[in-house]
Amino acid sequence: MRNILVILIVTLLIACTEKEPGGQGPVTAQNKPMVVTSNCPLYFFSSEIAGDLVDVRFPSIEGDPAMWVPGGDEAIMLQSADLLILNGAGYESWLSFTTLSGENIVDTTANVQSMLLPIENTTVHQHGPQGKHSHQGTAFTTWLDPELAIEQSRSILQAVTQLKPDQAELFKTNFDQLEKRLRQLDQSLAQSFAKLAAQPVVFSHPVYQYLQHRYQINGRSLHWEPGIEPGTRDWIELGKLLQAHPAKLMVWEETPLDSTRGRLTEMGVQSVVFNPAANPGKPTDYFEMMNKNTDQITAPK
Amino acid sequence: MKGALFLGWRYLAHHRFKTAVLLASVTLMMFLPAATRLLVADSAKALTARAETTPLLIGARGSQLELVLNALYFHAERPPEVSHQLLDEVQKTGLATAIPLNTRFRTRGAPIVGTNLDYFKFRQLMLSDGRMMGLLGECVIGANVARSQQVGVGDYLVSSPETVFDLAGVYPLKMNIVGVLESSGSADDDAVFVDVRTTWVIQGLGHGHQDLEDAGASKAVLSRKEGAITANASLVQYNEITTENVREFHFHGDTSGFPLTAVIAVPPDDKNSTLLRGRFQEGTLSGQLVIPASVLGDLLETVFTVQNYIILGLVMLSLATIAVIILVFLLSQQLRRGEFFTLKRMGASRGFIAVLVASELGFVFLGSLVMAALLTWGARSYATQFLLSLMTL
Repeated sequence: MRNILVILIVTLLIACTEKEPGGQGPVTAQNKPMVVTSNCPLYFFSSEIAGDLVDVRFPSIEGDPAMWVPGGDEAIMLQSADLLILNGAGYESWLSFTTLSGENIVDTTANVQSMLLPIENTTVHQHGPQGKHSHQGTAFTTWLDPELAIEQSRSILQAVTQLKPDQAELFKTNFDQLEKRLRQLDQSLAQSFAKLAAQPVVFSHPVYQYLQHRYQINGRSLHWEPGIEPGTRDWIELGKLLQAHPAKLMVWEETPLDSTRGRLTEMGVQSVVFNPAANPGKPTDYFEMMNKNTDQITAPK
Repeated sequence: MKGALFLGWRYLAHHRFKTAVLLASVTLMMFLPAATRLLVADSAKALTARAETTPLLIGARGSQLELVLNALYFHAERPPEVSHQLLDEVQKTGLATAIPLNTRFRTRGAPIVGTNLDYFKFRQLMLSDGRMMGLLGECVIGANVARSQQVGVGDYLVSSPETVFDLAGVYPLKMNIVGVLESSGSADDDAVFVDVRTTWVIQGLGHGHQDLEDAGASKAVLSRKEGAITANASLVQYNEITTENVREFHFHGDTSGFPLTAVIAVPPDDKNSTLLRGRFQEGTLSGQLVIPASVLGDLLETVFTVQNYIILGLVMLSLATIAVIILVFLLSQQLRRGEFFTLKRMGASRGFIAVLVASELGFVFLGSLVMAALLTWGARSYATQFLLSLMTL
């Protein structure tokens, strides 16, 4: 009886210490090159192209990534990334005050400068003897134009291919599929916006420049936030705008307050949401988001 | 034999003053030429070691030596400047990695070195605590700065104004320490590192202030017309960069025209190095490009020439000292004739007396040799750094 007990214990010990077949555990994120992206669409494009071969990350940012201020931990992540995939076009305003190594930065709009749109009507100010200046720049929600999104994805393809040249073929295949889906989205968006014909539209925020440009939308922009009740001055401004630009549709980044929506309806303006999806709060499928946006676009009654 | 050595030792011990003078003279005679040669050799080695690891330096036209000493040791008071555009142009050639340096400012006597992350990689500097600077206004300090100023991660340093009487000048900037470097035994231990753009904020080329379009800044607005806002003197400007106000910081003008004191160019190979030097020689790129090791080689050549003259003088002095010592001994033999006569009467041989005199000389030279060796060791340990600081002032 005692011998049987000893044999049983020894057998159990051997079983516990035995290695897994093959002797290798699962591939961890530590073995993969780290790629950090500056917004959700770039995160999605990078993940689609690189698949599981690269550890694609998007920092946990609350709110608009364009207004992000990296903290100490995020600075370490940005500095230690093998690739830092940026939107460019002035989107990453945090670049002007963040210390990074230039070697690993990929500006995905660097090759499409001629397709970028300038922001107009910025305020000029002056203090001291340095002279007048303004903080103007370039419209940066480039990923809303599928044609630009394809070019940005092409930059990502080149960067990840340089990072892992042995996987070039796989990356190219993934990119081709992504390009195909973006072209389909382009057609779908074109059909949706065609329903508007040349009807005037109001955008709640000036972030739809590329959408407006690509699909010839007759739109004008305000500076309204979906979660903030517009003030008297804002309503007066809208009234004046509607006199010159009789829009019946207002496009919001997110669902506006019920009170705002109600008052707009009274004014004969229908509210729809077209989320630019820069940071929907959690990693989201870009196409899912865009299809949801497309479904919202209907000709105002 | 033992008796002769014992008597020689006792003689020196009895005539303490005479022995001390002899020991001091012979020690100095040995120490001065040896120490001069060794100290200069050590300093030269330390100087060239840093220069040899810095392949190429680019700076404003002028003194090559000043450019090298400032870029390597951060010692110049007001170094001549080149524009940041030059760095971009070098980078665009694809022939070398260009690392910016802006060393114009100081904090508590330590140089503030404005650069980028490539500098740390290039100099192989490692952190002993904290992290690398990540935001404008953050700094990483050298090991000696941390030790001498008793500061570390979480503390702050304030940039020193260039002149105390410049009341309308640039406000000092409070810089947060986010990292401390491991000691590298180089000038980097005594420096405070910031992002190059932080040095531009210190210089007043960039600043942060209330948003003039914000309702809270209405008191600071002098006029608003046709999309242009003019502020008055009450506009609040920030003297510390935090995560809360960093977005309000901005630069006026084109940053490509902003100043740098030097650019370190790191070409991947000799071919690229030669091509880059060619671009400067033919004038395609402005400024001057120097090879630090070569510039310091010229300086050291002068130092070695001066050293040889000094050693020649010391050798002549030593010969004179030896002559005086021989004279002292000969005279001393005359004075000790009675002593030697007594020894002979006591049965001492001529050989015994010769050993006695030789032992006295031997003890003096042996003692001097030990003392000269100790002094040289001490000088090499403590004086090299001092000599280096004199040479790089």
